[in-house]
Amino acid sequence: MGIEIIFKIAAIGILTAVTNQILKYSGKDEIAMLTTLAGVVIVLFMVVNMISELFATVKQLFMLY
Amino acid sequence: MEVLKILGIGIVTCLVVIIVKQVKPEFSVVLLITGSCIILYYIIGYFADILHVFDNIIVKTGINTDLFTTILKIVGIGYLIEFGAGVCVDSGNPSIADKIILAGKLIILIVAMPIITNLLNTIIGLVQ
Repeated sequence: MGIEIIFKIAAIGILTAVTNQILKYSGKDEIAMLTTLAGVVIVLFMVVNMISELFATVKQLFMLY
Repeated sequence: MEVLKILGIGIVTCLVVIIVKQVKPEFSVVLLITGSCIILYYIIGYFADILHVFDNIIVKTGINTDLFTTILKIVGIGYLIEFGAGVCVDSGNPSIADKIILAGKLIILIVAMPIITNLLNTIIGLVQ
């Protein structure tokens, strides 16, 4: 739980951008669209896990059941 | 010492968000959420300590504990609402943030309702 998650997400973002450019120039626009979706889904999975963990701790801490 | 770590994370997140915003705008919001999650992880420990101290005080003074748990709940709800509203404002739609804040106020009012009612009952009891 530190800064590396931010760098991981940034890396995924830049990677999807690069793959998008490559696929776009090679004429495969639909696949470029799919890679963007895949990138967003992966990142969302990571963030959703973090948020659910955070909300669980807050709920337990403040007795918000 | 902890402050420096939190400051560092905040600044690094802002910088990375600027970079990623040019390359891939969708990821900037996700990065903001992640950054705020990490910062909140560091300070949740302090929250726990503060609440333990308050618990001891409340137990010593003998006030009935459900009063304290309601206040705790209100603080927690306010805390979560502020987190959500902040994310909405960052991602560029303040209208949703206002709605979340309104909902938060209503929920806090509902949670605080029992206190108001038993306060009124005690007052009425005194008057009669």
